[in-house]
Amino acid sequence: MKKITLIITLLFMVQLSKAQDSCASPTAIPGPGTYTVGVINGTAPTLFCADNGAIQQAIPGGEWYIYTPTAAHTVTVSTDITANTPRTDTRVHVYTGTCDALTCFAGDDDAGADYSSVVTFNVTAGTSYIIVFDNRWLDAAHNNGFSFRLTEAPVVVPPTLPVTYNSTSLATINSTFNICVVDVDGDHKDDIVGVSNNNLRVHYQGAGGITTPTDYPVAGTHFMPNWSMAAGDYNRDGKMDFILGAGSGLSVWKSNGTSYTNITPGDYIFCQRTNFADLNDDGNLDIFSCHDIAPNCYYLNGGGTDNALTFYQSNVTPGAMKFGTIGGNYSTLFTDFDNDGDTDVFISKCSGPPCELHRNDGNGVYTDISAIAGINVTPIQTWSSAIGDFDNDGDMDVIITASSGTHKYFRNNLDTTNTTEEAFTNITAGSGWDTNTSTNIDNVTYDFDNDGFLDVLGGGNKIMYNQHNSTFAPVSYPGLMIGAIGDLNDDGFLDILNGSTIRYATPNTNKWIKVALQGVQSNRNGIGARIEIHGAWGIQIRDIRSGEGFEFMSSLNAHFGIGQATTIDQVIIRWPSGLVDTYNNVTPNQRLLVVEGATLAASAFTNGVFSVYPNPTKDVINIQLKDNLSVTLKSAAVYDLMGRVVLTTTDLDRPINVASLATGTYILSITDSNNKNYGQKFVKE
Amino acid sequence: MKYLFIFGLRFKNYMKKYYYLFFAVFLSFIIFISCSDKGEEYIPVPVSPVTVNLSQVPYPKLSDYHFFEGELKNQIPSLNVLPYEPASSLFSDYAHKKRFVWMPLGTKATFVSDSKVLELPVGAVLIKTFYYENVQNIAPVGGTRIVETRLMIRKDTGWIFANYVWNEAQTDADFDLAGSFTDISWEDENNVIKSTSYRIPTEVQCMICHKNKQVIGPTEIDTYIPIGIKPQNLNFAYTYASGTKNQLTKWVEQGYLDSNFTLPTAENTVINYNDNTRPLELRVRSYLDSNCSHCHAIDRHCDYRPMRFPFNMTGGPNGQTNMGVCVDTEDYSFAPALTKIIKPGNVNRSMLYYRLNTTEESFRMPLHGRTVIHEEGVELIGQWINSLAPCP
Repeated sequence: MKKITLIITLLFMVQLSKAQDSCASPTAIPGPGTYTVGVINGTAPTLFCADNGAIQQAIPGGEWYIYTPTAAHTVTVSTDITANTPRTDTRVHVYTGTCDALTCFAGDDDAGADYSSVVTFNVTAGTSYIIVFDNRWLDAAHNNGFSFRLTEAPVVVPPTLPVTYNSTSLATINSTFNICVVDVDGDHKDDIVGVSNNNLRVHYQGAGGITTPTDYPVAGTHFMPNWSMAAGDYNRDGKMDFILGAGSGLSVWKSNGTSYTNITPGDYIFCQRTNFADLNDDGNLDIFSCHDIAPNCYYLNGGGTDNALTFYQSNVTPGAMKFGTIGGNYSTLFTDFDNDGDTDVFISKCSGPPCELHRNDGNGVYTDISAIAGINVTPIQTWSSAIGDFDNDGDMDVIITASSGTHKYFRNNLDTTNTTEEAFTNITAGSGWDTNTSTNIDNVTYDFDNDGFLDVLGGGNKIMYNQHNSTFAPVSYPGLMIGAIGDLNDDGFLDILNGSTIRYATPNTNKWIKVALQGVQSNRNGIGARIEIHGAWGIQIRDIRSGEGFEFMSSLNAHFGIGQATTIDQVIIRWPSGLVDTYNNVTPNQRLLVVEGATLAASAFTNGVFSVYPNPTKDVINIQLKDNLSVTLKSAAVYDLMGRVVLTTTDLDRPINVASLATGTYILSITDSNNKNYGQKFVKE
Repeated sequence: MKYLFIFGLRFKNYMKKYYYLFFAVFLSFIIFISCSDKGEEYIPVPVSPVTVNLSQVPYPKLSDYHFFEGELKNQIPSLNVLPYEPASSLFSDYAHKKRFVWMPLGTKATFVSDSKVLELPVGAVLIKTFYYENVQNIAPVGGTRIVETRLMIRKDTGWIFANYVWNEAQTDADFDLAGSFTDISWEDENNVIKSTSYRIPTEVQCMICHKNKQVIGPTEIDTYIPIGIKPQNLNFAYTYASGTKNQLTKWVEQGYLDSNFTLPTAENTVINYNDNTRPLELRVRSYLDSNCSHCHAIDRHCDYRPMRFPFNMTGGPNGQTNMGVCVDTEDYSFAPALTKIIKPGNVNRSMLYYRLNTTEESFRMPLHGRTVIHEEGVELIGQWINSLAPCP
């Protein structure tokens, strides 16, 4: 009997020494102590809760442990211990859940000395925590074993964070570039867009969240979005198109209903930030690219059915619009600084000259007002700037977020009661930006904690939270990096996509509203529209921008937090066309879909070109062109107020038959021979 | 006739100093020629065929300049077209290079300092041809393909760029500054087939590296400059058709360089980074100078990052810091693993190594002129990183 026991024990021990080789058979950690990890050669983890992504060794490996505390503790797992002298370059992940459904709980790569790992987390009695070390940094020569120490301490309650994040990895988000979160199919829920050679991969967001991927092959030779990506429906077919910005030019992936076509114009551009924007206010989205080493470039969209693109370079092509005269252009941000209803252009600059602000004076005329605005400070090194109304006074402020050197925070002093161009005021001192030494090429502003004030995500694994008085304070999130931003589970809190990892925000109690736009007379996405929300907080504003920050493409839905407020007095949408939609007494915590003109009275929707009669109508609509206009109407589409096309026609010589439409309110959109769109609301009885 | 050319050239340059000596040689030469070449009654004064009319350049074709004699593709320099080579060269996707300098009769360059580009006279031209040997995607397979010949021409208003892209027949090259890609596949010295989508630069790409910038308030004033022709890079013996000679001495003898300077000391002289008999750090400093310092130096394109790679800035007490050793990475957008520019003993944690060892467009360095990894360069840098003492 004794012998048998011994044999069983030996067998058990043999098993033990191999046991930590997989998630299914981890080594149990009975409690505090120092434990030896041998050569890392077990099953490699695929869910990474610490920085630095996938394991890049020839044979990825992991060693697995399980720890089930009998009481609540604050636990620290550390390889930064004298037993490891010199330190080993370790990485550790801590999970909860079962092996087939692991959830990241904690993790660390480099918090200890010389790239050793230290991770501290709070545990509850009876919960099992799976702890795995991988060989991310241990090539064969260095994979010789090390020790870790687990310590238990009385529970230290961590400070409450404005918002917390829960990371999950999705193995199918595996395109070469996973840098875009935007609604692709027109349901106004953000989807995940990946670009690989000749393939567009979309993870649509369905009712239950992100679904399995759909692949769209894209034939032909194309550039990759090495430097940036932008999205916009420039051919108005209801599906998103994409700009892929590369170092030698750009490609456009254009949707045609169910498939995608590659367009590579071939002009040399050292692309940096790319954007969709309606540069000449004709209702068609144009394509813009910052040029690193020469003046900025753009393609005007000819609209119509072929959406022909014509290349221009500022200061080079005769007749080109003026977006500066030199290179060093790292990112453009299209927003309305003077609240005159059109988008001006801020250019973040690096390697010499200062940033530029180009005021849109209409009809494709842009005026450089950098010096008047006073934002032309030097030395400045920025690849992107955070621009938003940080003090909720109704105008766009600028934080020139540094890629090297120091940040500069400028308050917009816009006074629309006069015709003077006010200078911005540098309010960096004491704002928290003066003491923030983290620099980054990419910086974006969103209300991450839904408290009603815009925050900034940039460098240093932290969010700079708006303290509501024009100052900012950092909150660190281990491993947090900038990525593509949108609401990937439709819960009203913004999530961040980094590679194959989605960092879902865990909602706090703050309320929110999202506004999704569908243009009729303006461009299809409402890019360039100004959205205001009014309530107890006063005013908050957003502009719809395609191309925020430096590299990534983020949601085109306007997102607002409103803190603990329970009502929104008014939502106002100021469309690029000049139309204004207004909603009163809007319920928070919803996604508000606005089709251009939806709130206007049927008679008030004056497009300046035509009117319809009878309105309301039972069966047909007659189109009456205004007198003395040399406009030729070409085609018409009828939208319901959910933005769905319910009728199209190219025969405008006779009345449009709408007898088959259900009773309700519709928007008639007519395109003229110059590919301009005009809208008119009508009521079907 | 070749002898005559060389003779004429020497005679002109050295007439004052060595009048008597040359006179003697001259006499004997005349006698030699008179005796051997019947019917030759007079000696024509050799004239360089090179044509560079500053009001007309850049010419439409490379052949228009007459920089080469015989078949253009043989790149045999015409009279007064002098070949040269820097000690360490810029990696350009493994392209081979031939370089030449030409100056108008009676003009010469002046010395500024060991580490500064020689000041070339108006009318001077720098010529650099890029080619591959043992090319696999041409007929016949294994032949040589000349891709482009880049010129920099010194006008009185400053340097201009002119690029000539060779035709498929390799008979001439056409002016083209628009930039393009061309696929090249070749078998290297180790019988490995390599390939590149070779980038022929556009003019604005030329300007990035060949730029000196001066920022005054909101205005940047750029002037364009050569890179390679610094005394520190030329200060070694080069094998000319006529024999081996220090290049700076040769330039003086040629009449191409004012002689009012002394040759750089060994300490101030770049070496060939391929020479593994030389000290490792010296090789690395030479490599970084020729491959990185045209942007990462004061008043250059990327002077806002902390690295300072010019050879004369990497040798002193701040030398290692200027090369990024133990210096924090400024930007957090890159992998968080790479928090140091150079982490001694750890290539995986060194940003500089990472950026040399990748082809990904937004990370690779240099940003222009490289699309494949320079394996020998990466190995050299890796060896050096592993040799460094830990950060304090």
